[in-house]
Amino acid sequence: MGSLTISNVTKTFGSTEVLKGINIDIADGEFLILVGPSGCGKSTLMNTIAGLEDVSSGQLLLANEDVTDRSPKDRDIAMVFQSYALYPTMNVARNISFGLEMRGVPKAERDRKVEEVSTLLQINHLLDRKPSQLSGGQRQRVAMGRALARSPRVYLFDEPLSNLDAKLRVEMRTEIKKLHKRLGTTIVYVTHDQIEAMTLADRIAVMKDGLVQQLGTPNEIYDDPANQFVAGFMGSPPMNFVPCEVAEDGSIAIRNRGAVVSLKVPQSDHLKGQDVRKVILGLRPEMITEPKPERSGEWIVNMTMDFDVTEPMGADTIAIGEWNDVEVLARLSPEAGLSAGENTSVQVDLSKACLFDPKSGERVR
Amino acid sequence: MAIGRIGIYALLLAFAAVYLMPLYVMVMTSLKDIEEIRQGNLLSLPESPTFYAWVKAWGSACTGSECEGLAPFFFNSIRIVVPAVLISTLIGALNGYVLAKWKFRGSELLFGALLFGCFIPFQVILLPMARLLATLGLANTVTGLVLVHVIYGIAFTTLFFRNFYVSVPNELVKAAQLDGANFFQIFRHIFLPISVPIFTVTIIWQFTQIWNDFLFGVVYSGPGTQPITVALNNLVNTSVGGKEYNVDMAAALIAALPTLVVYVLAGKYFVRGLTAGAVKG
Amino acid sequence: MTQNAHKRSGIADRLEAWLPKIILAPTTLAMIVCMYGFILWTGALSFTKSRMLPQWEFVGFLQFEKLFANPRWDVALSNLVVFGFLFIAISLLIGLLLAIFLDQKIRGEGAIRTIYLYPMAVSFVVTGTAWKWILNPGLGIEKLVRDFGFTDFEFRWLVDQEMAIYTIVIAAVWQSSGFVMAMFLAGLRGVDDSLVKAAQIDGANAWQSYWHVILPILRPVFFSAIVILSHIAIKSFDLVQALTGGGPGYASDLPANFMYTFAFNRAQMGIGAASAMIMLFGVLAILVPYLYSELRGSNRG
Ligand SMILES: Nc1ncnc2c1ncn2[C@@H]1O[C@H](COP(=O)(O)OP(=O)(O)OP(=O)(O)O)[C@@H](O)[C@H]1O
Ligand SMILES: [Mg+2]
Repeated sequence: MGSLTISNVTKTFGSTEVLKGINIDIADGEFLILVGPSGCGKSTLMNTIAGLEDVSSGQLLLANEDVTDRSPKDRDIAMVFQSYALYPTMNVARNISFGLEMRGVPKAERDRKVEEVSTLLQINHLLDRKPSQLSGGQRQRVAMGRALARSPRVYLFDEPLSNLDAKLRVEMRTEIKKLHKRLGTTIVYVTHDQIEAMTLADRIAVMKDGLVQQLGTPNEIYDDPANQFVAGFMGSPPMNFVPCEVAEDGSIAIRNRGAVVSLKVPQSDHLKGQDVRKVILGLRPEMITEPKPERSGEWIVNMTMDFDVTEPMGADTIAIGEWNDVEVLARLSPEAGLSAGENTSVQVDLSKACLFDPKSGERVR
Repeated sequence: MAIGRIGIYALLLAFAAVYLMPLYVMVMTSLKDIEEIRQGNLLSLPESPTFYAWVKAWGSACTGSECEGLAPFFFNSIRIVVPAVLISTLIGALNGYVLAKWKFRGSELLFGALLFGCFIPFQVILLPMARLLATLGLANTVTGLVLVHVIYGIAFTTLFFRNFYVSVPNELVKAAQLDGANFFQIFRHIFLPISVPIFTVTIIWQFTQIWNDFLFGVVYSGPGTQPITVALNNLVNTSVGGKEYNVDMAAALIAALPTLVVYVLAGKYFVRGLTAGAVKG
Repeated sequence: MTQNAHKRSGIADRLEAWLPKIILAPTTLAMIVCMYGFILWTGALSFTKSRMLPQWEFVGFLQFEKLFANPRWDVALSNLVVFGFLFIAISLLIGLLLAIFLDQKIRGEGAIRTIYLYPMAVSFVVTGTAWKWILNPGLGIEKLVRDFGFTDFEFRWLVDQEMAIYTIVIAAVWQSSGFVMAMFLAGLRGVDDSLVKAAQIDGANAWQSYWHVILPILRPVFFSAIVILSHIAIKSFDLVQALTGGGPGYASDLPANFMYTFAFNRAQMGIGAASAMIMLFGVLAILVPYLYSELRGSNRG
């Protein structure tokens, strides 16, 4: 009952086209995360879903009903804003129940709902306070409570956690995940936080310049990016991109420590005989590690690298080397990181290597 | 250092004395009888204070051909000020709400065009307005004066409210829309409750402006509808028998009292109105 | 944020979409008719030979020629220059001085500020009436100073052709300088403390830091104050009316009084309209560059 279909939605402000034809099918109960660089149109898309902005063209279906022309109040959608947007003159209880009040729900029912929601979010003791008397985390909870009280068909979250400190953010993330499990309501959620995206999403939509670049599960997005933009956007530290020449036999050549190394990648067989001369090799830092004797296979290559800089991160150490005159990041264990420097042995796993067309950025498969 | 600070205090207090002097002179003069005024000087205290001048200024001084004091004109001013302030403030609040939160194509242009109204010298509309009032049958009426004050006050009231409401986050309106509130419900439940300060500022501003107006009053009022500023001017310039400076001063104080009281009670808002109306306007 | 326009479902929704425009409609109408329409009307009138009543017989620039040939308009204009210059300069000077002194962590600042500003709450007619008495030749300041022992002291500006305009300056400065002080004080309070500290660390003394650091920051306040004060000066009508009545003769007339006299007392509508248009252009000449620089500034910022 909460499925949402966004089909061919465009939005122009004056002469700038902010959404250029968005197509997303969101299943009932799905947790969809929108990511993308600042200004790519995420908030605009959320506003059109909510009905706060009219679409310029295209269609929005909610539970297979066309809601494109409905006003926000008739869509049964709730939204949580980055700024929380709590009504400053109303206390917490009234903030939560205001939507019900506007819909003519009787007082007793409203009180029951406030009770229920505030228990769920553990904010019972705050009900009489004004928003200005709450901490950031408490405001965040009230904002969620306001959305929950109405039991809408779809929740929209626009960067709901980005105003919280790191620790609270992790806590609230877990709580939102639990909440979603429990309610099973469709959620569309915008975030700039990679980990939030990976941990919360059923599927992720990566946007750029008003277009969806890729829509898929977190693993698909991470391991099988549709193009160089998606590959570079998701993951931290980001994927290594090394421009390479393709040899006759489909293997690719990199210059490491002054010597040319020929690497065979899963795409090599396919590349053989094709007229592709230059590609960009995409390899995630965790695919370059200290040697692990237990691993072996067709795509495992051992070599030595020179690392100029190491950056200990606690759980692992990022070491920075160079292939083909571009920086390459490796992810080493802390112990290996200690001794990393000139002439360090590493193991490269090419099984998940991606190749991209240098001009279009599209995947070469 | 210490001498420097003493100098600063001395200068500040000297200026305070200069600013207070006219008020002091007015009060003292209004409490003297005419004989004492001739003998003493501006600063001398009244030897036997008398309210004769106040009573006469209020009830029987001549303002032209009638001699009923300022009382009828004081009430004229109230009859003009109260509706004019309320109407222009209310319209300004709604205008400001729309211009800040419900922009549409051309609304910014409209606001700019309206702002200009804060600046035009009213001399340039005096003649046609007189014609319009005559055509509407409102010449020399209180209603006509209310209308004029409302029309030329809206630019300011709209400016005040618009500038106040633009600082309210748009998300608040969006949240309320999703909560199912309509245009007026959002105004009533979200905007009105936070508007007490700006209503205070606007009402005080409008009250001061309209109570103190002389130009519209002198041009558009008739013998029975003159506001107190016009009557005061007439009173001062009417000399039947000898000139009674004490009555003049009592009359001036009566005319100044309402705005002075408001200033003393709500000076903070008064100043805010001045700077908002001035700096932004 | 834009409104949710057009094509909504119910009638109520459609009405709702129109509400913002409906609400602004009366104001828009009043503005178009009573501001811009009336300005055009007055402008047109100034090209006609109207006297008692509007007469739509156009005579070109005749009224303007008559206006500028009129010695009384000459006096009014040069009075405006003298009055405007002195009023603005003195108000700025006093306002700035008081603001800087008040900004020195003064005890009783609130009370002192209240005293400086109260004249602004009083109408010009009251101000005029009060100063007319204070400056009264014979019983006013003259008598006061004579009572101190200076028996030959004379102070008769109010009835002096040459000096009457300066009495208007005095009263206007008394009324408005406190307001300028408030503007400057607000500006000073907005200046970042660390800037002054930085200047002091750089070795500036108190006056140097005011002159080189703070005053340049207050430049926008100067501009706003000048615009507002010139606006007050051009519109000044009630003060003259109450203080000197334009006299002696018409020695202390300002353009606003000229306009009123000719349009309403002398049934010279055409000349009155022409003088009003000149006043409008005067305001525009100050306002347009100001708004232009304001808008450019805000666009850049
Ligand atoms: N009302 C509007 N009028 C004109 N342009 C707008 C309007 N709203 C948004 N835009 C433009 O549309 C583009 C997308 O904005 P949007 O807020 O959707 O970005 P976003 O992806 O949410 O960015 P962020 O991650 O910074 O929140 C921006 O370039 C913005 O300037
Ligand atoms: Mg956004």
